[in-house]
Amino acid sequence: MTLVDLVLRSMRKNLKHYYLYFFALIFGVTLFFIFSTLQHDSSVVEQTDLSAKMASGFQAATVLLFGILLIFVTYANDLFLKRRSREIGLYQLVGLTKGAVSRLLIIENILLGAGAFIVGLGAGLLVSRLFLLLLMKLVGYEGFVNLSFSGAAFLQTAVVFAVLIVITSFRMFWKVRRSQLIDLFNDDKKDEHPKQPKPVLSALLGILGVAMIGFGYWFANSTYMLNAFLLLNMLLVLAFVITGTYLVFRVTIGWLMTLVRKNQNGHIGLAGALSIAPLMHRMKANAKSLTVITTLSAMTLAMAGFAYSMYYSTEQETRVWVPHDFLIDEIGEGKEGTSEERAAKFAADLDEAGIGYVMQPITYLELNASYTGDNLPDLLGWEGNTVTANVFDVRQLKAAGLDIEEPKAGEAVIHDSGIAWLLTDEVFPYEASIAAGQTNEKLRVTSLGKREVASGYAGVHSQLTVSGETYDRIKAAAPAETHQLVAFNLADQKDLAEASAIFRPYRGDMTLDFYTTYKESLSYNGIMIFITGFLGLAFLVSTGSILYFKQMSEAEQEKRSYTTLRQLGFRTGEIMKGIRRKQAFVFGIPLVIGLVHSIFAIKSVSFIFMSTDITLPVTIAMMAYALIYLIFAVLTIGYYRKTVHAAL
Amino acid sequence: MTNTNQTQGRIVLQANQVRKSFGSKLNSTEVLKGINLQVREGEFVGIMGPSGAGKTTLLNVLATIDRPTSGTITIDGNETSKMKDAQLSKFRRDKLGFIFQDYNLLDTLTVKENILLPASLGGLSKKAAEEQFNDFAGILGIKEHGHKYPHEISGGQKQRTSAARALVNHPSMVFADEPTGALDSKSASALLGTLEDVNKSRGVTIMMVTHDAVASSYCSRVIFLKDGSMYSELYRGDKTRQAFFQDILNMQAVLGGDRVDAR
Repeated sequence: MTLVDLVLRSMRKNLKHYYLYFFALIFGVTLFFIFSTLQHDSSVVEQTDLSAKMASGFQAATVLLFGILLIFVTYANDLFLKRRSREIGLYQLVGLTKGAVSRLLIIENILLGAGAFIVGLGAGLLVSRLFLLLLMKLVGYEGFVNLSFSGAAFLQTAVVFAVLIVITSFRMFWKVRRSQLIDLFNDDKKDEHPKQPKPVLSALLGILGVAMIGFGYWFANSTYMLNAFLLLNMLLVLAFVITGTYLVFRVTIGWLMTLVRKNQNGHIGLAGALSIAPLMHRMKANAKSLTVITTLSAMTLAMAGFAYSMYYSTEQETRVWVPHDFLIDEIGEGKEGTSEERAAKFAADLDEAGIGYVMQPITYLELNASYTGDNLPDLLGWEGNTVTANVFDVRQLKAAGLDIEEPKAGEAVIHDSGIAWLLTDEVFPYEASIAAGQTNEKLRVTSLGKREVASGYAGVHSQLTVSGETYDRIKAAAPAETHQLVAFNLADQKDLAEASAIFRPYRGDMTLDFYTTYKESLSYNGIMIFITGFLGLAFLVSTGSILYFKQMSEAEQEKRSYTTLRQLGFRTGEIMKGIRRKQAFVFGIPLVIGLVHSIFAIKSVSFIFMSTDITLPVTIAMMAYALIYLIFAVLTIGYYRKTVHAAL
Repeated sequence: MTNTNQTQGRIVLQANQVRKSFGSKLNSTEVLKGINLQVREGEFVGIMGPSGAGKTTLLNVLATIDRPTSGTITIDGNETSKMKDAQLSKFRRDKLGFIFQDYNLLDTLTVKENILLPASLGGLSKKAAEEQFNDFAGILGIKEHGHKYPHEISGGQKQRTSAARALVNHPSMVFADEPTGALDSKSASALLGTLEDVNKSRGVTIMMVTHDAVASSYCSRVIFLKDGSMYSELYRGDKTRQAFFQDILNMQAVLGGDRVDAR
């Protein structure tokens, strides 16, 4: 019998060990192939303007995807090897050399890999169209798209997958080489023995874990976060939260359970014997993987929540930057005549098309200003410097249809979305001194406006809105600094697309119309949510499967206990009650901690949403995640039920 | 109150024409070929026989872990061979105790937790359960190890834990399958001594499968199986353990096979 015969025989015999690993491999190929197809497909590249905008995003996502697949496949491979360690030992016992055994395993791995590659590719071809339609819908493209087989995607998938197979084969080789015969025979029943933890130390470390997470949360949302060391601070928060999470799994939970158990004084009951006892027993071995799962979950949740919020808030957030439907600016390449002249022409075009609108001339004064206040943000360098401020007349803005607050005489409201996140409540009020001709106008800046008041060049600098009288006074002192804009706001938003086409020749090199900007950010955010959703799904399925696999092997290890319990007269239903409680912990704790982490993460960046309440989109994203995640818990419980049922 | 007389005491277990076959209908092997058996309250019955005689199968069938192919089994007035699975579970929990060769303790539970596990669904109050634990753990000499995990104690202590777990519910009958099989001779005799003690002082009915003549010499009666049928039985009566042991060896010699080293 040759080695290949042996391989084929053992593969036929061991089908039930294989399917898990095989599934992991197929899943990897399919995901990667779909992802690769979408970024190499010419129609996708055209329709989404991919090359210019999101190519780097797709590339970064590809690396992340490869990373998660590597973690997932090596994990499945380890588990697979562990389950077969007795078989590997047996081969050696009957005289196969280590070299022959590792050759056998590697041939198997390559055969499995090749099979998974073909199946995965087929599945990928079938479903990639579905994903393409989803992507097109998300970026707001309506029309027919054709998806063809992409040679580049095939090649990329093949290379990535070959790397995966080489890495796993090498690990197999390494494991066989390093193994002792005796370990191989004990591997599947190797269990750590529960130890009585040192009470003082575990109490200290247990509390420290929670404290570290708490500190990370507090720091991320405190004012200390936003300074010149932002990146360093973020790393600090990550380090604290992840270490804290590890300690929570490694010590805190075990410690709390010890307290509960001590309190029970031996009267643990069946449910406790099947939940708290095995959980404590395995907390040490599981701490690392639970930390990884929690961190991945938190990352996925934060990413998905954030991306979905971006997508969800696209319209409102675009309004922050582009307040008017159309704006005629006075500066710009290829523009002839004054803004009023061009506005008149655009208005005539709109009239011709039968589109209703409000046309409102807006003037502003571009002046030097200096700001003084007790809590001006250091990062802006306002203190002691002269900055440019564009002063707007609130009467004109109101006439153009903007819903903004009206400053009192001698006061001003600052509008600057770019730095809004730095202008917290404690900055206000501060004093502004505006150089208007020979005089200096003193204004008290009382608050931050919710949005820009004009886009384009007028919006590059901070905008100060002042009352009508104040504006007139400043203008009289410095009439030369006046700039002229004309804002158009449509009577019916349905006409936006048509009007946007008419506006194109007036636009020049600046995007001054709402519709175009909105469409662009929608497609940007669409691709973004597609990528995060895709990655999120990959992460979710990986973490869910890892937990499922882990619980499968735990169920195998605990089978003997179930047999004993059944013999002692406990019914399957009674045993399942305890097992469900255990699964609630195993799946629930990473989910809950991951959720809390991600909520704090999103909270700390939520300042970029100027005018949208993101509670709803974040909740939807998190619920969707939790729901899919719980499917794995249900599957796991089903597997346990089968095991318990078969135990007697 | 030794059971010198087989007509004394209430009948706890009654088996009539118990048969057990394995395999398919066309190709089946009959392991038990119509066993008739009575066990009275307070008896300590040993079941012996060569390998393949059906000792463990008989025990499993009588102990409701397995079902007979035909025949009736009545324990404590309940016909277990007619019960449904759910009823059987409850019956096992309430009326029977088990001691296994490889202890079958839950590794993740302490000695005390293991012992009190069967009591957890029995509706026993915490205080009563505590008393039961103190009582049996005291008799079996493992009270001071209550907070330890199974891997921290010796094999003999593990088996005594298993025995305490079997006894804590005051079962009508305790079934023991090769309880000394994994123990050294000193631990084995300590365990058997304790079982004999509990049997005599508390009248606990015990049925034990063993292939060890020394172990069965602690019993009040030994039943010999051969090829799935009852071959013979010996009563200890007033004999010393040594004399009874000699009787058992003689019987084994007649039975043939399964040579046992007299320890």
